[in-house]
Amino acid sequence: MKINKPIHTWQLKFEGEWPTSVAFLGNGNRIAAGNRSGQIFVWDLPDAPPEPTDDEKDKKNEKDKSPPNQPPSRRLDGHTNGISHLRASADGKLLVSSSFDRTIRLWDVDAPASGKAEVVLDAKERTSKVRYKSGEEKDAILNAPGHMIETVAATHTLEGHKDWVASLALGSDEKRIISGDNSSLVIAWDVETRKEISRWSGHQWNGVVAAALSPDGQTALVSEYRYKRDDFDIPAAALKLWNVSDGKERLDLLKLQFPKLDVTASTYGSAQMWRKFVKGGLLAAEFSPDGKLIAVGQGGETDTGKVHLFDSESGKLLRTVSGHRYGVCDVKFSADSKYILSSGRDTMVRICQCADGKEIATLGKERGGQFKDWLHAIAISPDQKTAAAADIAGMIHVWQLQS
Amino acid sequence: MHTMECPTHEHVSRRALLKNTLATAGGGALMNWGSLFNSKATAAEVKKNQKRCILLWMNGGASQFETFDMKIGRPTGGLFREISTNVPGTRVCELMPTIAQNMDKLAVIRSMKTSQIDHPGGIHLMHTGYSQASGIRFPEIGGVIAKYLGSEGSDLPNFIKIFSHGNTGAGFLGPKYQPFSLSPEGRLPSFSTSNLNPVNESRRNALRTFVEDSYASGHKAETARMHREAYDASRRLQNVQGVFKIDGEWDKYRDLYGDSAFGRRCLMARRLIEEGVPFVEVGQSSYDSHADNFVWHRGLLPPMERAWAGLMIDLEQRGLLENTLVVWMGEIGRTPNVNNRSGRDHYVRSWSTALAGCGVKGGLVYGESDENGVDVKDNPVSEGDFFATIYKALGIDPETEHYTGVRPIPIAPFGSKVVNDVLL
Amino acid sequence: MSSSKNLSTSKLVPQKILLVGVVAIFLSANLSFSEDRLRDVIDGHVESAWKTNKLPPLAQSSDGEFARRVYLDLLGVIPNYAEIVAFLDDKSDDKREKLVDKLLNDPRFAGHQAEVWDQVLFGRNPPGYGTDKRSGFQTWLRERFKENTPYDQWVKSILRAEGNTVDDGAPMFFVQYKNKPEDATEAVTQKFLGVQLQCARCHDHPFEPWTQLDFYGTAAFLARLQVVEAGKKNKLPMYVIGEKNLGDVLFTGPVTEQEVGKKGEAVKPKFLQGDPLEEPELPKDFKEDRNFPNGKVPPKPKFSRKDQLAEWIARADNPYFSRAVANRIWAQFMGRGIVHPVDNMSESNEPSHPELLDALAAAMIEHKFDLKWYIRELVNSQSYQLVGSGELEDALPKWFERARTRPLSAEELLDSWNVAVGYEAIQKASGAKPSEDRYAPLGSGYLMQFFGKPNNGVGDFQGGLHEHLYLNNGGIARLLSSAKGGLYDSLVNSEAPWEERVDKLYLSLLSRRPTTEERETFVAFLSDEKDPRTRVGEAIWVLMTCSEFRFNH
Repeated sequence: MKINKPIHTWQLKFEGEWPTSVAFLGNGNRIAAGNRSGQIFVWDLPDAPPEPTDDEKDKKNEKDKSPPNQPPSRRLDGHTNGISHLRASADGKLLVSSSFDRTIRLWDVDAPASGKAEVVLDAKERTSKVRYKSGEEKDAILNAPGHMIETVAATHTLEGHKDWVASLALGSDEKRIISGDNSSLVIAWDVETRKEISRWSGHQWNGVVAAALSPDGQTALVSEYRYKRDDFDIPAAALKLWNVSDGKERLDLLKLQFPKLDVTASTYGSAQMWRKFVKGGLLAAEFSPDGKLIAVGQGGETDTGKVHLFDSESGKLLRTVSGHRYGVCDVKFSADSKYILSSGRDTMVRICQCADGKEIATLGKERGGQFKDWLHAIAISPDQKTAAAADIAGMIHVWQLQS
Repeated sequence: MHTMECPTHEHVSRRALLKNTLATAGGGALMNWGSLFNSKATAAEVKKNQKRCILLWMNGGASQFETFDMKIGRPTGGLFREISTNVPGTRVCELMPTIAQNMDKLAVIRSMKTSQIDHPGGIHLMHTGYSQASGIRFPEIGGVIAKYLGSEGSDLPNFIKIFSHGNTGAGFLGPKYQPFSLSPEGRLPSFSTSNLNPVNESRRNALRTFVEDSYASGHKAETARMHREAYDASRRLQNVQGVFKIDGEWDKYRDLYGDSAFGRRCLMARRLIEEGVPFVEVGQSSYDSHADNFVWHRGLLPPMERAWAGLMIDLEQRGLLENTLVVWMGEIGRTPNVNNRSGRDHYVRSWSTALAGCGVKGGLVYGESDENGVDVKDNPVSEGDFFATIYKALGIDPETEHYTGVRPIPIAPFGSKVVNDVLL
Repeated sequence: MSSSKNLSTSKLVPQKILLVGVVAIFLSANLSFSEDRLRDVIDGHVESAWKTNKLPPLAQSSDGEFARRVYLDLLGVIPNYAEIVAFLDDKSDDKREKLVDKLLNDPRFAGHQAEVWDQVLFGRNPPGYGTDKRSGFQTWLRERFKENTPYDQWVKSILRAEGNTVDDGAPMFFVQYKNKPEDATEAVTQKFLGVQLQCARCHDHPFEPWTQLDFYGTAAFLARLQVVEAGKKNKLPMYVIGEKNLGDVLFTGPVTEQEVGKKGEAVKPKFLQGDPLEEPELPKDFKEDRNFPNGKVPPKPKFSRKDQLAEWIARADNPYFSRAVANRIWAQFMGRGIVHPVDNMSESNEPSHPELLDALAAAMIEHKFDLKWYIRELVNSQSYQLVGSGELEDALPKWFERARTRPLSAEELLDSWNVAVGYEAIQKASGAKPSEDRYAPLGSGYLMQFFGKPNNGVGDFQGGLHEHLYLNNGGIARLLSSAKGGLYDSLVNSEAPWEERVDKLYLSLLSRRPTTEERETFVAFLSDEKDPRTRVGEAIWVLMTCSEFRFNH
């Protein structure tokens, strides 16, 4: 991956519930993004940005100008509750979504349309435009037509979880999926047959907050966490490697860090051992494409959320990099395994070198008061030239990494 | 050695009479508390019926949108879905499946409308019924109930807290009704057992009593009196250590209450109620989800609701539920809006509490909030109304007054209205 | 008065100081101060308030009462047997004033005052990592009291936070508020200015004059601080407070109107109820790393906002500052502040004796924040030396019509018990090395659990039965040692008549001689043939745990 003076090329409106997830479909111009009410949209962006709208041209101050928007081309219908993750195959033909509606769905975004719908993705902007207006003018803006786009249904729905599916990963060989839910159940699925390969549970009091698959699909990384049951009743977090084929535990990374860790203990004192390491949960996890590294991000809300880098063979902690005020939301490796990109609750994407932890670039700008908005998820295009982030303020940012 | 300065029923220890031991309860001079007096008729009457109260305190303020006041499909609704209950037409959050099967025991109030939005103010308000006022130390609900439902000279304290918050204690009711706190695991504090030979302990106590009498004759500061009363209470605790050993019972009841710290505290509360303690407060902390509201409630609610349901079932099976009032509340509710930390902030314009047991009609929901949960639609219930209802359910007249100086202070604020619809 | 000149010439002082009684400070300062000693000014105001409220004046304390009280308030420990006997038997007229001077110069004075202020600044459970191990700070503060460094100067040192937390100590205060300039703002304004701004964090205060911009304007001074880990020294974590050149608090309005997507406005530093800070402009393309690297001492910024705040707070003509400390130290010795609680000086919380408070603040300024001088005047006043017994039930009488009753703090209890039972002598006699643990022999764990809270120095006593479990059932067993050199040993192995031994018992523990009745009762108890040795232990226990010992009277 090469980063050289990144440009903020698009700011796609996706207002309504918080955007939570994003993925590239085959190339840097095709993006899927999901939000917290279960909507998933697909955008097909042109190579060149469009002419600025009249509104944009009117803006005198450079600072107020935003990169261009484009309406989506399709909506993927089916989920009834928030999307936790989106994962796509490298060629963009398969999109996988995990949801709080307890299902995982597989999509072919180019499948024949199942219907048409009018979508309004700028509801918030309309509301702020009419703040000082009234009567007909107000109605005209609020009720202006949205965009007519096609809707597509999922090709398959995987049911097996009985709680929110909070974690999802697609192996880089694209043959296996791993999913984890809020009741600590992990299921490994075969993509082609859509059957369960194996299933296992972590500690009964925990939820699975992140899961990842090794490049060869044989090993799963599972991160467990539960917000405390009481100030004096705090279940132990867990970070382990498991064999996908039989669901047997292979390596306990947290126990390696803290040999005295007692997974059955939930006292305040026992939790102090791992709390600084785990913060608000290690809720983003990835294997590096070359399989040698594991990255996990410290979630929030916490003082500063960092990214731990482990050696995937030995489980040894190599270094801790990055740092997002209030917590990390997502992590992704670059294809050459050299960089780790993290997005967080400081409205930023940070790009750090795996070898020494040096932060070489950032994307985004802090926004908000004492507490900033989140960049809930990041994605990198297969050709490594474009990055996208889901911004809870109702937009999908797209950056060209080289100018 | 010491004199009785107060009339009749206040100080004669039934226990002492029965055991024919010391002539005074606890071996200390019990003085009437300044110029306070109350209606004697009320006191005698309520003590007959042995009513009790357990307060489940949701510290930090549990979210009504994640418990009893679901707004599915509304922008304020949040991420959890609702489930049906064993009361047709009533739904609760999916995080409370056990409570859902016990809704026929509960009277839920969805129209709480109170005045104190911060923690210290709210904790004071929802423990005493009053806003903080300088110069007046209002008693907590536990102190009031200890006074009217407790037995004089009992060995167990009449007001026990198991990891809960709120610190006005007995307020102007005096040191006799101060709370006794157990650890968050429901255990007695360290040093609860005496190792002394009873003969030595007794004579040492007699010498100490002499010293305290001598001191008290010249020093009237209330702090010294509190200290002395507390010493007497600590000695009585010696006789009832067994009540606090619940490991054996926990093995049997772990399933019913759920394997959690809160569950264990609830079991301890049941035991104490069984032994005649009139008021036990059990706390869970912390619901103050300014950030990650959904994650927090996912962690806190399941063990809480399992234990709460387990407690009610256990009380019912033992025939105690009809005389035990179980109160569920926190100090505040939470905002309809979800902020940019995925949290809900403090909110008191519309929130929820619940009652079950003694004197309460089960299986109903009282009051309603509007479609987004922003305001109470009808039947608002203030903190005073809520307290009046609790006292009435326990057979205590909410207008009972105490006097500090010249002002009468009713146990529920003037103008409070009992919510009769939730009472039997 | 030179102070009025400072207002107009200093660039740093806000031109508008909105505070009740500012004029009164200068007036009363001019009228009453230069003539009378402060102690007489105090007595005058207190008596005049009694008259207004039709309260009868009470007698002065007995010698024993006074001695125990002033030893505890100044040194945090009761007098030992020799000290109390010497004082009681001293026949000179001015023995109280001499005692005060003796105690002010005792090395334990600095230690105790430092502990009191350490609790003010950190409390029992300070926030932040590493703040519970702060011996560097505590040593530094003790030195300040030893040298009687003026209060404004050491407060300024705390706010400037220079050096590191082990060698220099002062920076530890801000370590509590790592990455939390808003929390630091609340703490600084509360402790040093006596005002409560926390409501203004989320919305304009409903009835106080503080707005959110006041809050964030103050927080802006502290927005650029970073806690830098500088390794370990003497087994302690070492921190340095660095300050960036860039960084702002961003503000988006009342919390209930907070919306996702809202851009925050950077709030410029502004003095409370005063003018914005003038800052030099940085060059347009100025860049710096986001975080100071750990392990290195960070460079100073080109312009330090926090130093500006330090200058503005810790100065004679900041009326909040002088009133707050005058009131706080008054409360420390008299029980309640003239404004009560001491960190809530607001228009809705009127001072009970407004003119007195003005005079105290003026005196503090005139004497350049010399705390030792101020304390000397306080404890030499007749108001301080009032009797501690009586019919009044109030522990902290509002009109100071009786000396306040306060419980001893955990440290005072331990130190006083140690003195009474002769712990030091026992250690010496046994040849054991004196312990490094400040809380020997009971240990801080139990002491804090049973006596740690409340500990606001002013004496809010809750009175639950927990502490009695500790006292009754063996917690203080180590203090009832029969070892050679201790009180128990001296009583049991003495040849003196029991009457004398009972006197010694009372003097050692309660700093007074027993009444006739007390003496008779104890003699009867102790001279009983059954278990004579055990009885001595029981008698000591009784006096150690009784109410008279537990409280300052």
